[in-house]
Amino acid sequence: MALVTYVEHDGARHEVDVPVGDTVMQGAVNNLVDGIVAECGGGLACATCHCYVDEAWAGKTGTPSTVETEMLEAAAADVKPTSRLSCQITVTAELAGLIVHLPATQF
Amino acid sequence: MDTNAPIQIPSHVPPELVRKLGITESAEFLASPHKFMAALHETQPPIVFSYGDHSPPAWNLLKYEDAYFVLRHPEFFTTEGTGPFPRDPNDYWKIIPLEIEPPDHRKYRALVDPLVSPKAVLALEVSIRAFANELIDNFIDKGECEFAKEFGRPLPVGVFLDLMALPRDMMDEFVRWAMGLLHAQDRVIAGQVMAEVTQYLNKVIAEKRGVLDGGMVSAIVNGRPGGEEMSARETFGFLFFVWIAGLDTVFATLNNIFVWLAENPERRQEIIDTPDNINNVVEELLRVFTVTFSGRTVRDDIELRGIKMKKGDKITSILPACNYDPDAFPNPAEVNFHRPRKPVLTFAGGAHSCLGAHLARLEVKICIQEFLRRIPNFTIKPGAKIEYWPGGVVGPKDVPLAW
Ligand code: HEM
Ligand code: FES
Repeated sequence: MALVTYVEHDGARHEVDVPVGDTVMQGAVNNLVDGIVAECGGGLACATCHCYVDEAWAGKTGTPSTVETEMLEAAAADVKPTSRLSCQITVTAELAGLIVHLPATQF
Repeated sequence: MDTNAPIQIPSHVPPELVRKLGITESAEFLASPHKFMAALHETQPPIVFSYGDHSPPAWNLLKYEDAYFVLRHPEFFTTEGTGPFPRDPNDYWKIIPLEIEPPDHRKYRALVDPLVSPKAVLALEVSIRAFANELIDNFIDKGECEFAKEFGRPLPVGVFLDLMALPRDMMDEFVRWAMGLLHAQDRVIAGQVMAEVTQYLNKVIAEKRGVLDGGMVSAIVNGRPGGEEMSARETFGFLFFVWIAGLDTVFATLNNIFVWLAENPERRQEIIDTPDNINNVVEELLRVFTVTFSGRTVRDDIELRGIKMKKGDKITSILPACNYDPDAFPNPAEVNFHRPRKPVLTFAGGAHSCLGAHLARLEVKICIQEFLRRIPNFTIKPGAKIEYWPGGVVGPKDVPLAW
């Protein structure tokens, strides 16, 4: 397990113990965190699992693939340098304490 | 508009938007359905009110953006009662999960989603590949095949039986039922088949009760959405819909793609030469050969793109046309395997986004890879003419190939 904190757009924080090996997206949907929709279920096909990795963690979550970067263009909210599709971040022990911020909308 | 038509056009619909577009039935559509879809963007406004001989009047959405809006706003547009199968009002059952709306909808999807997640379907890859090769073995030495019958039909049925954990010996029966239900122009045949399917599904439901075999029938029969028991009708409606949704769609998609592959040797070679790009190939072919539609009903009076719609109006998202929207996919008729990735509407979107999308993608990918590996050069059998099925799943009737 690794503790991941999801900060909703309105400031609400959800602290979730996510099993190592699950994705940040799964940690959210399995715990009813509203800010992640994930309508394709992690298939890198919908861009509704958009999140902003907290600045302090930005270097530790890896870099997006080309397909992920292209899919991010379809995200509804502003895309920033820290934007990721949360289904593409796998939770590892090193990510314990990870904080991600969720956009106002996924549509 | 044909004023003799026995169609009641509601008074709030502007007459200039009323037409018979001919989707799924006109001669122009049947001659080349996907060209027809692409051309709608040049000849039609974004939203029209269309009816046909076999389709009741509905707002037809052609724009990608509008379809996405409707699909992603179940609070304005509902799936209730829109399922594509006529049911006896005295013995009514809901098509599940399609006709269940959020938030309850999630409880039903949660039972089956894990079996077809991107990760879960990868576990089926080896067996799908083996099955594709078995089918090819049966006809490769003949130098020809009727692709739809010998490959396009059995492949999704076999994969589906595995996913359901049902015996492969049901293959022929399933093929016959699927054909009967969706393509029988004859209501009597459709009715008979429906009775046989109902009997079979009820038998399977009884057999799988209490059996946890990892298959989807077991997951549905023994599943408790939100912790509550499903009624017999719900279980049936769930199983029936998964059954119907997972067969004909993949069949039609494969058939469309293989007609195109047969007619485009240079593009076939491009696919063979760029094996690492296969996922983009699949996504692009799914975009240009979108096979189905999405129906909704307006919950309360609402305005969309300046058009006033009334409570109870029907809406059909013309997904195959939306995927040719030049505002979403520039130069849309060009089959371009290097487009920037963007969500396609092939599997719709929103909460009801296709359950089987990742499985379908995998099936299409494996079929293209294995067929082209074993039979890299083929054509449509000389002299053959490709004809299309009318109706809600767009695809050719026969695909005679020769090599
Ligand atoms: C290329 C093949 C396929 C295509 C083009 C396709 C297309 C679609 C579309 C457009 C919808 C949305 C309908 C709506 O919103 O009104 C849908 C839903 C659905 N599909 Fe598929 N489908 C395919 C394969 C499959 C497979 C293989 C399965 C089963 C294993 C499946 C099961 C379902 C189910 C159960 C739903 C309803 C989802 C819900 O309401 O939550 N589909 N499909
Ligand atoms: S869940 Fe669809 S792209 Fe991440």
